[in-house]
Amino acid sequence: MSRLAPVVIDNGTGFTKMGFAGNNDPSFIQPTVIATRDGGSSSSGAPSVPSKPSFLNSSASSNLASKRGVEDLDFFIGDEAVANSKTYALNYPIRHGQIENWDHMERYWEQSIFKYLRCEPEDHSFLLTEPPLNPPENRENTAEIMFESFNVQGLYIAVQAVLALAASWTSSKVSEQTLTGTVIDSGDGVTHVIPVAEGYVIGSSIKSVPIAGRDLTSFVQNLLRERGENMIPAEDSLTVAQRIKEQYSYVCPDIVKEFKKYDQEGDKYFKKYEGVHSVTGKPYTVDVGFERFLAPEIFFNPEIASSDYLTPLPEVVDTVVQTSPIDVRRGLYKNIVLSGGSTMFENFAKRLQRDIKRIADTRIKRSEALSGGRMQSTPMEVNVISHKKQRYAVWFGGSLLASTGEFHSYCHTKAEYDEVGPSIARHNRVFGTLG
Amino acid sequence: MILLDYHNRIIEDTLKARFNPENKPKPLDMNIVDFDGVSYHLSTLDDQDTKLILSIRWKCWPELVKYGATDVLRREYSQWIVSPEQGYDFTLQFDLEKLGADPEDVIRKVSLLKRNAMAAPFERAFDAQALAEKEDTWDPSTSQLMTIPYRDGEAIYVQNQQDRVTVIFSTMFKEETDRVFAKVFLQEFVDARKSAKPQLQHAPQVIYSHREPPLEIRHLPGLLDSESMGYITFVLFPRNFAPGAVREETISRIQIFRDYLHYHIKCSKAYMHSRMRARVSEFLKVLNRAKPEIQASEKKLASGRTFIRRGV
Repeated sequence: MSRLAPVVIDNGTGFTKMGFAGNNDPSFIQPTVIATRDGGSSSSGAPSVPSKPSFLNSSASSNLASKRGVEDLDFFIGDEAVANSKTYALNYPIRHGQIENWDHMERYWEQSIFKYLRCEPEDHSFLLTEPPLNPPENRENTAEIMFESFNVQGLYIAVQAVLALAASWTSSKVSEQTLTGTVIDSGDGVTHVIPVAEGYVIGSSIKSVPIAGRDLTSFVQNLLRERGENMIPAEDSLTVAQRIKEQYSYVCPDIVKEFKKYDQEGDKYFKKYEGVHSVTGKPYTVDVGFERFLAPEIFFNPEIASSDYLTPLPEVVDTVVQTSPIDVRRGLYKNIVLSGGSTMFENFAKRLQRDIKRIADTRIKRSEALSGGRMQSTPMEVNVISHKKQRYAVWFGGSLLASTGEFHSYCHTKAEYDEVGPSIARHNRVFGTLG
Repeated sequence: MILLDYHNRIIEDTLKARFNPENKPKPLDMNIVDFDGVSYHLSTLDDQDTKLILSIRWKCWPELVKYGATDVLRREYSQWIVSPEQGYDFTLQFDLEKLGADPEDVIRKVSLLKRNAMAAPFERAFDAQALAEKEDTWDPSTSQLMTIPYRDGEAIYVQNQQDRVTVIFSTMFKEETDRVFAKVFLQEFVDARKSAKPQLQHAPQVIYSHREPPLEIRHLPGLLDSESMGYITFVLFPRNFAPGAVREETISRIQIFRDYLHYHIKCSKAYMHSRMRARVSEFLKVLNRAKPEIQASEKKLASGRTFIRRGV
């Protein structure tokens, strides 16, 4: 029997993308949330400080043990969980990219596999993703669940940034398929800048920027509120802001010129957003103005939105590259890859490329000047790569990797797991060393 | 979620999005998998984005056809059947522009493709039994044992008899632990009927045997004699497959039984794991309490002399 397609699951903080390898789009994209009856009392985090000898009647275990029926199957995941949030308690098993609650995660997978993907895990290999700098213990826990609960045929845990790099190979701008580059991963909660050299993540140089999709949305929401767009119903204001951000926003080359353009030929640039009141069903319109280019601008000029964080994204990228080993810096500048929904703005790549190039060129010029003209450097090649699969770049990269013929030889198999134990997950066969 | 759905959710979702006239047709090429090694290929025709094809490939397709799958499928999908795509067993084609009145109904039917294909041998057995009962003469030679090797090393056997239809699942457990869970689980199935619950009295009888094949199929060649094999027998009486909704429901349930069993074994393991985790964190609390307090080191005065507290 020919091998069945491997399953690719990318569990992110906000959304889980899952599907079968070889496809272009994930089959399901849904919130990483699980709705349970128990109100999230059985958290498996660090044990709390004991206050009194109450361990025998402590809530978590006795609750669990007293369940005699099928209560442990009474839960929902994803969109259905959100829909049932009135009667169930919502739990987010992943925080900051890392799995915090293994009980919930195990059940989340259980339902993902059987209810949504409908596959027998014993027949498939699985590709899961992990954030950079994931502690190896987490990887072991994942392997334990996958092999012991689900008896998966094979398991491969890939680093998200590396998959994003692999996904960029589909872009026409990429001339060679290399695993060296800088990944800018901007999702809903946080933006990471991750340097990768030949498939290895340079952990010490990773930087994160506390600006991401959610902040852009609330910025747009504020702008609309301050301008007095009274038509927006209060309960819809976040969704409206989000829609406006997704539909109309773009990145401008120069903010001052852009303001001028809007003043002179407003008709051409001002847009109207048409919405329908979710309760009364009445239609309304909202004027969309400067927020079109101001929202993504906070990546480049954070001071317009926040007073705490002031470093623009291009500067962060430059710092990341500069703190990486000197021999990979050119490669890192040459291949800057975007991933995640918040990098989807029009011209985002262009602007980023220009700004980074400017910083790099200034530095080269200064060092040439300091050497008194005796040293000439070749100009730095800066490339920011934007491609069609950017939004689900990580999943798509996983799908690409898992559909190659060699994938099965990179997987840890069940037999190997039974032989070695969970520590097998610390080893990555693509690189052939302990990592 | 105690029961698994009978329909394929990915097909349902994709078709829903496709059949929605608001969405513009665009090229599509998708490979999907379902339980028991079923592969689907959902795609649009090369140059026509409004023409959608869905193909299915299944290991046991020749057997299903032998037991009358073609008729069942023709009944369900008549107007959409086209000749099978290269490398697949069965293909449906839809034209988004000519969907007919009720796309919802189409979606529901299509997402049940696997179930309907599997329904054929069951329907044949049910019909044969009904016929035998009506004529009131039992000719043992009309009893047909149908074998559907739907997975590697696992099969479903369906046999019609004078007053009942027997369905036997042979199932293989790759894991020792799974086998233990399955044993407990299936014993519950067997015992549930014996317990006093009157609503279960009409449920079909379930017999579970480990390693030893039931008499009905013992003569068959190629039965694997191994510790990991188990046989589950369902004895269906005419009331369990009365034509109409009951019959459809019976077929739906029984064809997903193996996946249901394995799903619940996995769920039970997950449940055990969460209890183990809870227990470990309880024990850790106890251990932490037992830690000896660190003795404070001797305190010294600024002059360097040791500060000793005298008893009062």
